Amino acid sequence: MNKKTINIQRRILIKKSLSASTMAMVASSGLLLPQRVLAHWPTKAFNAETVEDVLLALLGQADISSSKKLNFSVGKPAKRIANGGSVSVEINSELENIERFAILVDNNPFPLVMSIDFSPEALLPLKTRIKLIKGKSKVIAVVRAGGKLYMTEREVRVDTGGDI
Amino acid sequence: MIIKAEDRIRATLRANNTHIRLLLAHPMHSGRQMNADNILINAEFIQDIRCWRNENEVLVIKCGGGTSQNPYFSFELAGGEVGDTIAIRWVDNLGSKGNMDTVVDS
Repeated sequence: MNKKTINIQRRILIKKSLSASTMAMVASSGLLLPQRVLAHWPTKAFNAETVEDVLLALLGQADISSSKKLNFSVGKPAKRIANGGSVSVEINSELENIERFAILVDNNPFPLVMSIDFSPEALLPLKTRIKLIKGKSKVIAVVRAGGKLYMTEREVRVDTGGDI
Repeated sequence: MIIKAEDRIRATLRANNTHIRLLLAHPMHSGRQMNADNILINAEFIQDIRCWRNENEVLVIKCGGGTSQNPYFSFELAGGEVGDTIAIRWVDNLGSKGNMDTVVDS
């Protein structure tokens, strides 16, 4: 074997070991884990601990317009709720071009419950169910429509709290 | 524990709009709940639910742990015809996925 072939073999070996170690590094860094698929989940907003922080993270700084354009109801019957584990929430509005709707609960450890992005095809009314802890809490609805924010809140009392 | 409940979806036409009702079978553990022995239950909740109508993405729902167990949603889509395909895909924080399709009824 002359010197030239040894050199070539050495190069191949270096190349192979390099690509193998790169792959090991990528795998160990967690880039291939399924959680990473969800890069769009707004972690900062969901982990914020005050209502103000959530609004700032989720919707940015904006002036809040009148809340009279939102029909928001929490619980059936409203105001006094027996079971906090599953409280129905309904939002309706005459507003057009709704971009985003978020539900917040001020007493929850992490106030943001959900955030919904609307395409132009999607319309209100929207109904869903949330968890509330025992006692008084304020359920806040925020709608961003046409670049403006609309916010309203309902104070409710829960007899048996949901496990949050 | 094996959960046998299934995700359900219903899409109907109401006053020329498509009305969708959606019930997902999921425990929605927020990660702060205790079991009977006062041990924390690991977080397991749906983070992302998407709805498509005929290959168009129409609604994206991001959930946190405050959403109730077996989450329920109902909403409307503008217009629509009988026979449109409605597809739902969800992913939870552990990477579990679910999907289902339905066709709009009259």
